[in-house]
Amino acid sequence: MAQPGDELNMSIPGLGQLAPTAAPIAAASSATPAPTTTQTLEPYWEYRFEVPHGSSLTIKLVSGTAEKDGTELAPNTPYTFSATKSKINTWHGCSLEITAPPSGIYDAYTSEPTADETPMVSYLNLHFKLESLRAAAAQKSAHMGPRVLVVGPPNAGKSSLVRTLASWATRMGRQPLVVNTDPREGMLTLPGTLSAAVFATLIDITTDWGNLPSSGASAIPVKLPLAYYYGLPQSDDNPKLFKRLLGRLAVAATSRLAEDVDVKSAGMLIDTGGVPAGARAVPYYEFVAHIVAEFSVNIIVVLGSERVGSEIQKRFAGQTTSVGETITVVGLDKSGGVMDRDEAFMQSIRESAIREYFFGNTKMTLSPFTQQVDFAAVSIWRIDAPTKSSADSGGITYDEGETHPADMLEKAEPSMMMQNCVLAVACASVHDPPDTIRDANIMGFVYVADVDEKRHRLRILAPVSARLSDRPLLWGSWPEHMVNLLI
Amino acid sequence: MVGILPSTSVTSFDSKQFSTSFLSTGGDVVVKPHKKLAFCRLPSVWFSELITLFTLDLRARNNTTMSSYSESEAVAKDFREALEDIQTIGRPEISNLTIIARENIEHALAISGALVDHIKKVGCKDFFAKLAAPHKKLPPLYVLDSIAKNVGTPYTLFFSRKLYQTYMDAYAMVDMATRRKLEEMLKTWKEPVPGSIDTRPVFAPDVVRPIENALIKVRTTALQQDQERLRSQQQLYGRGRPAQGVPYRETATPPGARPPSQAHPYHTQQPPMQHGNGLYSQAAQPPAVSYPSQPPNIISTSRSTTQPPSSAFQPPHLGGYGLTQRGISIDALNDDIKRLTTAFQAQLAQSPHDLIIQTKLKALVDLQTILQTQNLPQEQLVLVKNQIADLAVNIRAPPAQTSTPVSLPNPVAVAPPPAPAAVPKVSLDSLFGSGALAAIMARNSATPQVLTPQPPPAAPAPIRSPPPQIDPHKAAPAPADPMALMNMLRRAGMLPPATPATSTAPVPSATPSAALPFPLPLPQMAKNSQIPLPGTIESLTSDIMLKASSLKHRFRPQLLPLLFEAQGPQCTQCGRRFPTTEEGKKRKTAHMDWHFRVNQRSNETEKRGLHRSWLVDEMDWINTRETIDKDHIVQTGDTDPTSGNAVAKVPKTQYIPVPDDPVLAASVCPICQDKFETRWLDDAQEFVWADAIKVGDRVYHASCHQEAFKDGGGPPPLYSAPMHARSTPEPVLGKRKAEDELVSLRGKLKAEAV
Repeated sequence: MAQPGDELNMSIPGLGQLAPTAAPIAAASSATPAPTTTQTLEPYWEYRFEVPHGSSLTIKLVSGTAEKDGTELAPNTPYTFSATKSKINTWHGCSLEITAPPSGIYDAYTSEPTADETPMVSYLNLHFKLESLRAAAAQKSAHMGPRVLVVGPPNAGKSSLVRTLASWATRMGRQPLVVNTDPREGMLTLPGTLSAAVFATLIDITTDWGNLPSSGASAIPVKLPLAYYYGLPQSDDNPKLFKRLLGRLAVAATSRLAEDVDVKSAGMLIDTGGVPAGARAVPYYEFVAHIVAEFSVNIIVVLGSERVGSEIQKRFAGQTTSVGETITVVGLDKSGGVMDRDEAFMQSIRESAIREYFFGNTKMTLSPFTQQVDFAAVSIWRIDAPTKSSADSGGITYDEGETHPADMLEKAEPSMMMQNCVLAVACASVHDPPDTIRDANIMGFVYVADVDEKRHRLRILAPVSARLSDRPLLWGSWPEHMVNLLI
Repeated sequence: MVGILPSTSVTSFDSKQFSTSFLSTGGDVVVKPHKKLAFCRLPSVWFSELITLFTLDLRARNNTTMSSYSESEAVAKDFREALEDIQTIGRPEISNLTIIARENIEHALAISGALVDHIKKVGCKDFFAKLAAPHKKLPPLYVLDSIAKNVGTPYTLFFSRKLYQTYMDAYAMVDMATRRKLEEMLKTWKEPVPGSIDTRPVFAPDVVRPIENALIKVRTTALQQDQERLRSQQQLYGRGRPAQGVPYRETATPPGARPPSQAHPYHTQQPPMQHGNGLYSQAAQPPAVSYPSQPPNIISTSRSTTQPPSSAFQPPHLGGYGLTQRGISIDALNDDIKRLTTAFQAQLAQSPHDLIIQTKLKALVDLQTILQTQNLPQEQLVLVKNQIADLAVNIRAPPAQTSTPVSLPNPVAVAPPPAPAAVPKVSLDSLFGSGALAAIMARNSATPQVLTPQPPPAAPAPIRSPPPQIDPHKAAPAPADPMALMNMLRRAGMLPPATPATSTAPVPSATPSAALPFPLPLPQMAKNSQIPLPGTIESLTSDIMLKASSLKHRFRPQLLPLLFEAQGPQCTQCGRRFPTTEEGKKRKTAHMDWHFRVNQRSNETEKRGLHRSWLVDEMDWINTRETIDKDHIVQTGDTDPTSGNAVAKVPKTQYIPVPDDPVLAASVCPICQDKFETRWLDDAQEFVWADAIKVGDRVYHASCHQEAFKDGGGPPPLYSAPMHARSTPEPVLGKRKAEDELVSLRGKLKAEAV
């Protein structure tokens, strides 16, 4: 059984080579000239590739047109991929120049479906249907564009579909709001977050979702997400908190739509975590219902599972949204290119995402700041899953769990447990009550490099040089703590 | 495993709910409750959901190919039953059936078979008591039409196989008004589907053209027939009354004295050349020559060409097709002919000089001979039977046409065929002429037909099949004149310009993949002027439904250019496309400027050392506006990169980069004590404080500062110290407006911005 949330598409801000330590290795072995081959794709074919962390594959579009998840490759521009499994597809046929990594560690093959076989056709049709709805909404200022929720089992290519739809929409001049509700993977931010971002122009195709803002200029416009830290991998780890944060995200997203006419007409594209197996599917559908209600979803796309499709159909088809539209459920096939991603690979992806957050990638090297902080100068709050028993009951009866404030944060004293952990920085004041801190969005992350219990000092790595004493820090268990970022 | 259908869904519509919607369409037929899925009476929304469930269920149950056969049968059976229930040309029924066809596209073969079968069968049963029957042919034909237009392949391919036969059978059987509708329908088949940019016609020209040819022959012959009859009647009643255009003379005009062009048609093979409008100038070929003497020959001609090389008319008997015709027995036909012969003989006895009756009688005798000596295939028997049937009608109601011409003073050479809509029943002979019948039977398609039949002046009813519910354009009542509708759509840019005459139109291949040899749209090719961009996105996507089958099963290549060629050539740096329009060029210029500035800036900033930025809070995020390629448009002529006014709300130059210094970054406006609004400024590629101005070491809100130090006159005495300004800030021009509504979102974060 694959882990829920193991999807094709990792949510990492950039996938370049991250660790400064990795650079010398690559440089050393680059003495031998990298072999370059030309790959010719007929229409609808796909070039699928997998590049492990530390290796890199360069792809250049020589002729024709090609897309990666809906974003077109610029002609004759080398794109370097690392630590990713993805695919390049073409509608018109193309010729790609592939430069293999010197190490030779990568895996690639071409899939050769026809127009009748590729699910891309159905995605394209869906896009144009959405586009017509957006065009209709744009004409009437009071109307919202379609709010599309994509659900499906793990590894169905949900994120990839959301990204493709978003990219196509931006190519038509739309500005869709993309929402990620899967805490296992982050969108633009680190895993453990629920986030939303408006996509107004192209996504850097060597990344999953694009780049976060930094003090440098990005050759491709950055994306600015709004993120809330959940700090746990599964939506049912702490159902109350999860729903609470979803609500916050929905309010902000809806406000953005209300304020921003361009976003309003383009609507939303909402990604979800994979439907878990067995008994955990029940609370999962509760979350889906919550998302549908909070975001006024009017179109649900079920990817790659008739079973999930019939369940969703049963629950939602024909119901009306809060604004009175009928909810439509559509089942589509998953892409044959979706690859299972094992947990080890996913972990390496998460690790490289954290590295990249602080250190940047090959295209842009960032310099984070380290600082020594006294225990007393920081305010750390623990996000935890309720105990097993309450979690079990929480799956079904979390709504009346008044006595057990499972969604509340607990103040935590710094301890060795925090070493090598990533903490989220809440956009709130240390003087705020816990529920305000819990509800706040996050400004970013810091990394606990060292905990010196004897001297009561923490060594913290932060992206910016800033006083940390003013901001509450949230300590979750996701993303999991890593070996050591500073080695 | 999924159950069949949730019983709640099935029972949730009672017949009352349905019948209201049914009645509202003007249905005058009693709907009997359906035992199965109640296909045609569900409100469409419920209905399609049901179908989705139904298909899901079917798929879930049948994953093997073995079972798909019986599955197809079941679908076809349900479809047939639903068909049998429609009796009127109501829009919901037809669109529901279309949806069924769409949803069950994998059973297209079975469904199209059931439909064709139904068209053939319906109205055929009790032939001589058939008065009410023929009109039943029209609704299923409309269903066929609707499916062909709204679903397309593979249905069109399946229909095409038997289209000629299906159409002509129906045409032969129905009354005049219905024929008009059928003709209208045929005309739309030669056109692309309205609202689609797919320029291919509904049916391929090689499928439609034989039908057209046959109809042209029918009409030509009928026209000749008419004229001959009229002339003969003139001879009978008017005796030498001159034809149109010839000055009336008192003197009797013997036949020989007529002008050559008006030469006595009766015994010549002169085509009706006097139809100077050219419409029927090709009409010379029809074998329908001089009427009285020829029919036997013609029919014998047809006998000799019973097996024409073209197979469309006589396809192999597929499926249950042959079964439907079993009812036509030659004995029964013989009996009918005998009865008719007797009746005609009686008539002839009354008016022994009636040539019409004479010829009809002769045709009957000939028919009988053929029937007795030849083993005619079923298809031809149908036509024979049809002809007999019309004769039978004719003999019952004494032929009206024998008297009508009398009232017409000079109707002989009227150029277009006189609109026969007023004539309730016209004998088959007068319409078809035996020659036309023979022509149809022989299907001599060797004659090239360059002509398109002229549209009848006014269609009695809208012809287009009901549109899918989502199409707003077709929802409007169709104008009576279909050409007017087409022209209207063309003017609105929904249709490509008028297509040339069908027969000369390029024939695209029927297979979609082969029909679209897309060139690689390299940038220079994108400039090609042939980029098709007709119509709005709505019209192009009107056939896409939010249904799995609609999304999955059809590649719509006409949409693809919207993502590629129509967007213009790519930016060589990032791959974005910019149209070659004026607006697009401006954007491209702005975009290239942006690239330039970014490159410049990244060179600068690299030296300073870079770091990840903090994200903004909810308020700032909500108020962020993505600004893409707008800077150039907003402020043309300003080339100063540092003053790019990307964020429209931020007045030019009234922002500063967020200070790196933590102390200053945490500062608030000394005047209003409010914090600064952080925004990502795309143009500058960094976070800025909007509406901020740095004066000395302090940062103020620009608006506060301006207000406080207005006109350089300094503040009023009471407020001499700006530091001690109002503790409750009032909204200030240039500051964010949404504050009131969103104050709750804001978190309790006050002052410090790190």
